[in-house]
Amino acid sequence: MPKNGRFLVGLVGVAAVVTYLIWTGVSQTMQYYMTPSELVAKVSVDPSFHEVGVKVGGRIVSGSYRKGGGLHGFTVEDPEQLSVTFPVEYRGDLPDTFSDRPEMIVDAVLEGRFRADGVFDATTVLTKCGSRYEASPEALRAG
Amino acid sequence: MSVVVGAVLLVVAVILFILQPMLSGRRASLHREMDEPTEAESRRRITLLALRDVEYDHATGKLDEADYHALRKELAVEALAALERVDFETAAGLGSAPPELENEIARLRSGLRSGSTCASCGSGNDGASRFCAYCGASLGAAVGGPSPQGSPSDPA
Amino acid sequence: MNLLGELALWIALPVALLGAVLGFVAGRHQRGDLQLGAERSVYAVFGLTILASAGIISNFLNDRFEYLYTASYSNRELLTWYKVAGLWSGQRGSLLFWLLFLMLFASICVWTNQRKNREFMPYVVGVLCTIASFFLIVLLFADVNPYERLGFTPANGQGLNPQLQSYWMTIHPPMLYLGFTSFTVPFAFAIAALVSGRLDLRWINVTRRWILLSWFFLAIGIILGMRWAYEELGWGGYWFWDPVENASLLPWLSATAFLHSIQIQESRGMLKVWNMFLVILTFLLTIFATFLTRSGLIESVHSFAQELKIAYIFLAFLFAIAGTGVVLVLWRLPKLKSENQIESFLSRESAFLFNNLLLLSVLFAVLWGTLFPLISEGLTGEKISVGPPFFNRVNIPIGLILLTLTGIGPVIAWRRASKQNIKKNFTVPVGVGLAVAGGLFAIGVRHGFALATFGISSFVMTVIVIEFFKGTRARARIENENWAVALTHLIARNRRRWGGYIVHSGVVIFFAGIAGSSFDVNIRQTLAPGESAMIPSPLGHEYKLTYEGMSTTSATASNSNDNLAFQLVALLRVEKNGKVLRNLTTEKRGYIAQNQPTTEVGIRSSFLEDLYVILSDVPDIRRAIMNEPDAQTATFTFMVNPLVGWIWYGGMIVAIGGLIGLWPSGAGALVRAPAVASARISKPVPVGAADC
Repeated sequence: MPKNGRFLVGLVGVAAVVTYLIWTGVSQTMQYYMTPSELVAKVSVDPSFHEVGVKVGGRIVSGSYRKGGGLHGFTVEDPEQLSVTFPVEYRGDLPDTFSDRPEMIVDAVLEGRFRADGVFDATTVLTKCGSRYEASPEALRAG
Repeated sequence: MSVVVGAVLLVVAVILFILQPMLSGRRASLHREMDEPTEAESRRRITLLALRDVEYDHATGKLDEADYHALRKELAVEALAALERVDFETAAGLGSAPPELENEIARLRSGLRSGSTCASCGSGNDGASRFCAYCGASLGAAVGGPSPQGSPSDPA
Repeated sequence: MNLLGELALWIALPVALLGAVLGFVAGRHQRGDLQLGAERSVYAVFGLTILASAGIISNFLNDRFEYLYTASYSNRELLTWYKVAGLWSGQRGSLLFWLLFLMLFASICVWTNQRKNREFMPYVVGVLCTIASFFLIVLLFADVNPYERLGFTPANGQGLNPQLQSYWMTIHPPMLYLGFTSFTVPFAFAIAALVSGRLDLRWINVTRRWILLSWFFLAIGIILGMRWAYEELGWGGYWFWDPVENASLLPWLSATAFLHSIQIQESRGMLKVWNMFLVILTFLLTIFATFLTRSGLIESVHSFAQELKIAYIFLAFLFAIAGTGVVLVLWRLPKLKSENQIESFLSRESAFLFNNLLLLSVLFAVLWGTLFPLISEGLTGEKISVGPPFFNRVNIPIGLILLTLTGIGPVIAWRRASKQNIKKNFTVPVGVGLAVAGGLFAIGVRHGFALATFGISSFVMTVIVIEFFKGTRARARIENENWAVALTHLIARNRRRWGGYIVHSGVVIFFAGIAGSSFDVNIRQTLAPGESAMIPSPLGHEYKLTYEGMSTTSATASNSNDNLAFQLVALLRVEKNGKVLRNLTTEKRGYIAQNQPTTEVGIRSSFLEDLYVILSDVPDIRRAIMNEPDAQTATFTFMVNPLVGWIWYGGMIVAIGGLIGLWPSGAGALVRAPAVASARISKPVPVGAADC
């Protein structure tokens, strides 16, 4: 029927436009989201990956924070594989929840790229609000 | 100790509260209440409101004359059909309209035909009225009859 | 009290299950006594949930740190109000909080329907009790009982995350939960309609009112969340397309779609299957929202820690709901056939359909983007995420078209509109829109998004203003009322239409507020005491901010909050084009037991812009607190956010419009004609003066 036909065309048209928007949106803005181990592994296999912007989730190594030359520097480790670590440089303001104190477990999500010199050049640093984690009984017992 | 007593009392109270109807035969109604609208009444209400919307749309210049008259005719037919359905239900004792409102329905129907009953609130108006004196809706949702007014209100 | 509360949860589960059984059996076998028992079960579970919640609050108020939950989210020094709010501070308590509101709405639903919708109520109660049982099962068996004991008693609790120690914490989550949980009721009615087979107009009205209520609460909750983020997170932003934020937006989008498409079903008997789908989808999305927040499946700064057990349980529940919905709809498909067709492409029905399509497109895009890491990991093994650039890229064009539609809808008539009349009615609004866009372009604005938004906003606003004007004028003339009275009566007579227009005008202002961000000014500067920064505003004037110095308060001196270890306050003197204004402060705060300082920003709001100052960096906080003179230099971020206030004003107007739509009318009441009328009139037939 002609009237339904027109609506069907409109529907398909809208669906097509939306699909196009989503498709290009994804392909142009997507970012790999990796653990530190995956990142280190990927870079050793594919050196061009040094230029790719990625998102990495890792844990701040306690005591690793240094400040100098207008940059914040700290080390990030893989919570699943503690031997995998790399240093990070960040020029912006660190979020309030950032800390490298030994008694805190601070997870960070970094955006940036892993440079050829082995330092992660971060453009964004997001840290998890620590006390969303329920206190572990051990922590509570300690004090 | 007091906690145990409190807990037991709580459990007993809750159980009694819930099971009491089954023990005493008290019932909650599972049937449409008398003053709840039936499907036909809902439909009637909606068609009458649609009539009012058409009046408003015409008055504010969204409908031209030809479309306005055509739509009004269509809707008035639907409204009458809905009214008749309600009528039927009343006669069969199915509807919620008590017998004395049968007169009202007849009045409404003839009023719609002659254009003096307001489609929106059901009030009667003088035959020459252009707008309902009680709710402000435009009159003249007549079936095929001459509309009492020309094109009312604003020049848009 | 707390022991009783703990026990109350255990009692509530069998009662809820009993209520579900009673309800369904009562419906199947038409047993009024069982139905009464089922309805009482709802009240009983509500009462027991209140007891359980009171017990948790009592735990907090009495510092009972032997409970894991209390110890995790409170300490002795915490302000009383945050102890009370402890009920919803963490995962476990918030589940109980959800149940509390769910039972509140279930009880209201049962109470207000004692003499209405009787054919549906058995199944409504059955569904409500089933869902309550689910939450009780989770609370009691999924390791998330807020009454879980540690086995020892710590000396003090961990305290509450300082970012949560804000009055926002006391209003934003409750408002959101009011929105989420109240969607359960319309879902229950939809299922009841499907099961009972009564799929005509009768279930529409009750569902529509409940969905409007939920939509209202959810909208307020989302806006409050945005305002909280703006004030507290200290970046001058208010929406980050964070997964948890997105999750709260999704049911709101489908509810908005439903509120429009339901009008088509009412007047034309069409889209019955579509509306069923929307109601079920909306409820599904509320459960999905809480699932996303709790499971930690998607990385989010908001989410609770990852807990797999609860994730699986919620996932199973989601599938169960979806499956039940699909089966029921397929079963009742014959009764859900459309009665009519859309008559014309140029009709309000058509515009509403288009609106639905676009809203669902945004929903799909947001859902897709949010779940993308999971999807990509499932398909390719690699986790890929998309962030704000993706969401903005996709949603902005669709949003602008939707905005345009809000200006087209009012001008088009139902069923079929006349082409000439449309052209006539669009001339002025389109002219205004083009004039505004053109004018902005002429003064140098080149930002595409801003031009489009302001142009379209002006177009829509003109349409709405003209509608109000025409309607008020017509009414004033006929009724011989003055315009103020005429306007009031106009709105009261047709709350759905005019409330809707008010909501749309709020949306327009909201969008304009967002467009203002295209002109944000952001300047970072390090200042020593006495130094100034010159900050230009896009509106032409200039701010001069002079850093006066820092003052400290320490734990002993501070009497505003026992939990504060220190407050380091930077004072800035503000001048606008030379005129002295009130000072601004921005500070770093340290809380006891938290070890993480937070930043409080300074905001000066005016109608057209916000001046926003952040104390970004103090090189040596320790020495600054000691008032050491050489530690006083600080780095500030100065922002000027044009039109950001319009986001909040727009939100308020949306809420007011929603309230108008919600306001109970005299529908169904007899309209009595005054005695002065003609002799023919006795009792008018109840049609309802207003239509909602």
